[in-house]
Amino acid sequence: MKNNILVIGGGPAGLEASANLKRLGYNVILIEKDKQLGGHLAKWDRLFPDGVSARQTLNALLEEVSGVNCFTETQLQSINVLDKSYNAILSNGITVLADAVLLASGFDLFKAEKKEEYGYGIYEGVITNADLEEAFREKKLPSKQPQAIGFVHCVGSRDEKAGNPACSKVCCATAVKQACEVKEVYPDADVYCFYMDLRMFGRHYEDLYLKAQKEFGIRFIRGRVSEVAETADGRLQVKAEDTLSSKPLRVSLDMLVLMAGMRPSESGKTVGRQLNLTTEEDGFFSSADNLLEIQRSKLPGFFYAGACTGAKTLPDTLHEARSAAIEIDRYIKEKFSEK
Amino acid sequence: MISILISAVQPVTPEGIIDRYPNSYNHFVLPFVIGISFILVYLLIGLIRVLYHLTGEDRIKLLKSLFIPKTALKNLKDLFCDCLLHTKIWKRKPLLGYMHSAIALGWFLLIIVGHLEVYIFAPRHLEGITEGSLYYPIFYRFFIWINPAHETLRGTVFFFIMDLLLLYVLSGIGLAMFKRVRSIALGMRHTTKPSLADRVALYCLWAIFPLRLLAESFTADLSGGSFLTKPMNWMFKAFFGNELNFMPTWWAYSICLGLFFLAMPFSRYMHILTEPLLILMRNAGLKVRKPRKGFAEAEIYACSSCGLCIDACPMNSQKKNLKYSSVYFIRFLRRHNNRRINEIADKCLMCGKCAAICPVGVNSPEIRRVQRETLNNSINYDYSYLDSIAQTAKPENAEASAEGKVLYFAGCMSHLTPKIIKSVESLMKASGTEWEFLDKDKGICCGRPQMLAGKTQAARKAIQANKALIEASGCKTLLLSCPICLKVFKEEYGLKGIEILHYTQFIDRLAKEGKITLEKGTEAIVYHDPCELGRGCGIYNEPRNVLSAVGDLKKAPKERDESVCCGYSLGSMTLDEKDRAKIAEHSVDNLMAANPDCIVTACPMCYRAIRSKSPVPVKDFAEAVVENIKPSKTKK
Amino acid sequence: MIDFGFSVSPSSRINLDSVDRESFAALAKLEPDVLKCMACGSCSASCTASQFEPTSVRRAILSLQNGQVEQALDLLKGCMMCGKCTMVCPRGINTRHLIISIQKIYGK
Repeated sequence: MKNNILVIGGGPAGLEASANLKRLGYNVILIEKDKQLGGHLAKWDRLFPDGVSARQTLNALLEEVSGVNCFTETQLQSINVLDKSYNAILSNGITVLADAVLLASGFDLFKAEKKEEYGYGIYEGVITNADLEEAFREKKLPSKQPQAIGFVHCVGSRDEKAGNPACSKVCCATAVKQACEVKEVYPDADVYCFYMDLRMFGRHYEDLYLKAQKEFGIRFIRGRVSEVAETADGRLQVKAEDTLSSKPLRVSLDMLVLMAGMRPSESGKTVGRQLNLTTEEDGFFSSADNLLEIQRSKLPGFFYAGACTGAKTLPDTLHEARSAAIEIDRYIKEKFSEK
Repeated sequence: MISILISAVQPVTPEGIIDRYPNSYNHFVLPFVIGISFILVYLLIGLIRVLYHLTGEDRIKLLKSLFIPKTALKNLKDLFCDCLLHTKIWKRKPLLGYMHSAIALGWFLLIIVGHLEVYIFAPRHLEGITEGSLYYPIFYRFFIWINPAHETLRGTVFFFIMDLLLLYVLSGIGLAMFKRVRSIALGMRHTTKPSLADRVALYCLWAIFPLRLLAESFTADLSGGSFLTKPMNWMFKAFFGNELNFMPTWWAYSICLGLFFLAMPFSRYMHILTEPLLILMRNAGLKVRKPRKGFAEAEIYACSSCGLCIDACPMNSQKKNLKYSSVYFIRFLRRHNNRRINEIADKCLMCGKCAAICPVGVNSPEIRRVQRETLNNSINYDYSYLDSIAQTAKPENAEASAEGKVLYFAGCMSHLTPKIIKSVESLMKASGTEWEFLDKDKGICCGRPQMLAGKTQAARKAIQANKALIEASGCKTLLLSCPICLKVFKEEYGLKGIEILHYTQFIDRLAKEGKITLEKGTEAIVYHDPCELGRGCGIYNEPRNVLSAVGDLKKAPKERDESVCCGYSLGSMTLDEKDRAKIAEHSVDNLMAANPDCIVTACPMCYRAIRSKSPVPVKDFAEAVVENIKPSKTKK
Repeated sequence: MIDFGFSVSPSSRINLDSVDRESFAALAKLEPDVLKCMACGSCSASCTASQFEPTSVRRAILSLQNGQVEQALDLLKGCMMCGKCTMVCPRGINTRHLIISIQKIYGK
C-alpha cells in the first residue's frame, strides 16, 4: 500500500518535493490556495542571475508533477495529529489521512505601504519589485520614457521598525537584475540603486553586478532612502544619504521600485496555529535543528521545505524540496516498515 | 423629629452628677492646641517660602488675579468643587468621590456649623482667647451642657444637623478603611505605599471621628445630642454604669487631632491645606519655572499620593514602568532625592494623562519638563545657520496678496507621512483655498521636541526663526497638521494677528461655512485623540464634528482626556522601540474595543504608531475627509 | 630604528591606536544602542538640521569610534531634537537620547 503524503503549498518547493516523493513511490496530495500552481514564480518574468524565463522554469517543474493529486484553490481546513499519522480536512471537502505532511507555505512579500515614508499607494510612480515583474510579464511598462529610475533595496528587510530585522537574501540580486532590465527598455534613463550592503553571494551574482556597472552604467548609491516627496511638477523626490561621501543627497525620479522583502506567509501561519508549530523571532518556522535537521519540525512526520523557514533563493528552495523528499522517505521507512 | 421625641421621653438632670468647668479650660485640650498652632505656623512659613520663590512678575500676577471678578469667581467655584465636593473624583469613580466629599465636606461643615452653634448659643465665648474660643467649637459638647428642660427647638435642630454631619463623615471614614483593605473594590488597581508619617496621620484621621462620636456620646446626656449620640449615651450607661469614661475619650480625641496636625506636613494629607493655594496660583495663570520651588512646590505638596496616576499612565501597561509614575516622581521631588528625580524625569511620555485625571490637578509632566531643563538646557548647540533666515525674512517684504492666504506648516514628522501632506493638498484644492506651503522643501523644527527634551534655550532660537518666516509670509492664518507643532505654536510663539489652526479645526470650519460638502459613509470610525491635540490643546469636538459627518463615529472606552497615548510621543527620552510598540498595542486595543471598520487620528506620530499595530485600516483625519468630499457642482 | 623622515599629517589618517576607548565604553554602557548602527544613513538623510548644516548621527558615531571627538560634536551641535532620525532608524536606535548622552559625555 502506498503511503499518503500531504504537501501544503504549490510553489517551487511544493512542486519539486511532490515530484520527488512521487518518484519515490508515494501517493502525493498537493494543495495550493491559488488558482494556479507556481507561487511567486508564476508571477515573475525572468530570474537572476542568468535571466532565464520564469515561465519556462515553472513549466519544467510542472511537467514533473504529472500524476500527483493537485488540488488548486484548496486550503487546509483543519488538521489533527493522530497516533501515527495526520488527519487533514481540506476546504474542498476531502479528508486526507496522511502519514507525513510537508509544509511548503513559502513567503508573502512585505506590504510596501507599511513603509509609509516611501509613498507606495500614495504616489503613482512608486511600485514594488512584484509590480515591475508583472509589468515585464504583461508587457505593460509605461510607454512614456522615464528620465530617472530608482531601486530601493531592503524595503521591509533589515528593519526593526518594519518588524523584520533579517535580510531577505534575494532582493539585492533581484534589484540589480531588474535595474539592468529596465535600462534595456529605457536606455536613456538614469538608473540608481540605493543599497545598504550589496549581498551578491551566489554564483554569477557578482558577474551580474559587474554587468550592471559596466554595461548598463547603473549608479549604486550606498545609503538607505529615508523619505520620498513629490516635486512641484509631480516627479518623485528621493532623499538619502550618500554615506560614502557623507552628504545628504536628493534626486528626482520618475519611477521608484521598492524591493519588498520576504515575510512568513499568512496561510502558513494558519497551519502553524492549528498545530502549535513554533516560530523563531523573525516569524518563520523553527526547524528541529538549524544545521542538521532543517527539513524537520518538532512534530514527528511534519516537515518543512523552502521559504517557510526563512528567506531563500530559488535554487536553495529546490535543494530543500529534494532533501525534504529524502527525509520523508527515511521517516516513513523507519516508522512504517517494521514487523 | 426623632431627636425631639427622644429628648422629651428622657429628661436627665445633670446637677450633682458631674463637675463642669466654668473657666472653659481643661488640660485635655492641650494636644489639640499644640497641633493646631504647629500647623498654622508651618503653613505660614510654607506660604512665605512659596511666594518668595515666585518671580516678582508672578507674584503680582497672583495678587492681581484675586481681584479680577472672573478669576475670583472661578477661584470660589474651584475651591468648593475641588477641595470640598471633589467633583473630579465623583465623575470618574463615584464611590471614591463620595468617600472624599464625605470626609472633606463633612468635616468642613462640622467646623462651620459647630462655629455657628457656638455663635448662637454661647456668643460671648467667641469674643476672647481667654474664654477658650479656639477649642470651644471643637469641644463644644464638653464645655457646655444643656439642661434638657431648657432645650429649644433651635438647639435640637443643631444637634440633629451635627449628628447627621458626623454620620456623613463617619460613612466616609468607613469607606476609607474599607478601601485600604480592598482598594480594588473601589476601582483602583494600584495604590501607593504610605510612609510612616502618612500612616500616623491616616490612623489619626480614622480615629478622630469615631472618637468624637464616643466622646460626644458620653456627654450627650449633659450637652445634648441627637439620633446618634443619645442612643449611644444610653447604651454606654447600660454597659458601664457611670459617666466617668468620658474623660479618657475626650483626651484621646484631642490627642488624635493634635497628632494629625503634627504629622500632616510630613504626610500626604498636606494636600488638604495646599490645594487651595494651588488653585489660586493655577487660576492666576502661573507656570512652573523651577522644578522644586515656587509654583512647583505648591504642586508637590498638593499631591495627595492617591496613585490614580499609576493606573492612568500608558507606560504602565508594562509592570516594570510602575515605578516611574508621576506620584513617585512628586514623592522624590518632595524628598529631594536627586538621583531618582532625574531618572524618572526622563522616562515620561509627557502625554498629560496623569495631569488630566489628577484630582488635585498637579501637572507633573510640566515639572518633569522643567526638571529636564536643569540638566539639558546647558548642552551646547549651534543654530547659527538660522541667523540668516531671521535676517532676510522681513514682514515688510510680504506680498499684499498673501493676507487672505492660508500658510501650511507640515512639520518634520508629517514629511514621513506623505499621505497627510497629499490629503491636505487635495483638501485645499477641493475647498478652493488659496495657500502657501511653508516647509515644502526645507523646514525648521517647531521647537516643541527641544522643549520636551529640556533644551528650552535652543527651542527659543528655532521658534524665533520660524516666527520670522511666518510673519514675513504675510499670511494671517497658520494651518498645522501636527499637534506637536500646534501646541508650541499656540503657547510659545506669540504670533500677533495670526490665527493658528489645527487642520481638524480648519476642516470643521470649511464644512460649517459650506466650502466643502461631506458625504456620510457607512464606515464605523473610531477616533484616536492625540495627546498633544486633546489634552495638550483641548481640541476634542472639532474632529468629532467632522468625523460624524463622514461616517458612523464610535466611542472608544477611553477617549477624550482619557485617551491612551500611542507610545511614540517625543516626550519620552528613554523608551526603546519594543516598549513603544507595547504601548501602541495597548492603545490600539482600546480603540478596537469599539469594533470599528477603521481608525482615524490627527497626528503623524499616532498615525504611524497605530498603523503599525492596527488590524483594521488606519486613516489620517484629512485623508478620511478627502475621501468623503462631495464633488461640488458649481466648480468644475 | 632608522627614521626615514616620512610623516603623515595628523588629520589625514585615523589612528585607532590612539583612540580614547574608555569614553566610548562609558558611552556604550549608558547607551548600548550606539553599537547597533549599521551606517545606512537614514538618519542623516531625513535630518531636519542637515538641510542647513552637516548634521549626522551616523557620522558622529563613526567619528567617536575613530577618536575624532571634535568632529562628532560638530556633527551634532545643529541637532533640533525633532526625532525624525529615531523614527526612520531601521535598527531602532533611540537617537535623541543618544545625542544628548554623547554631548554630555564628550562635551566640554
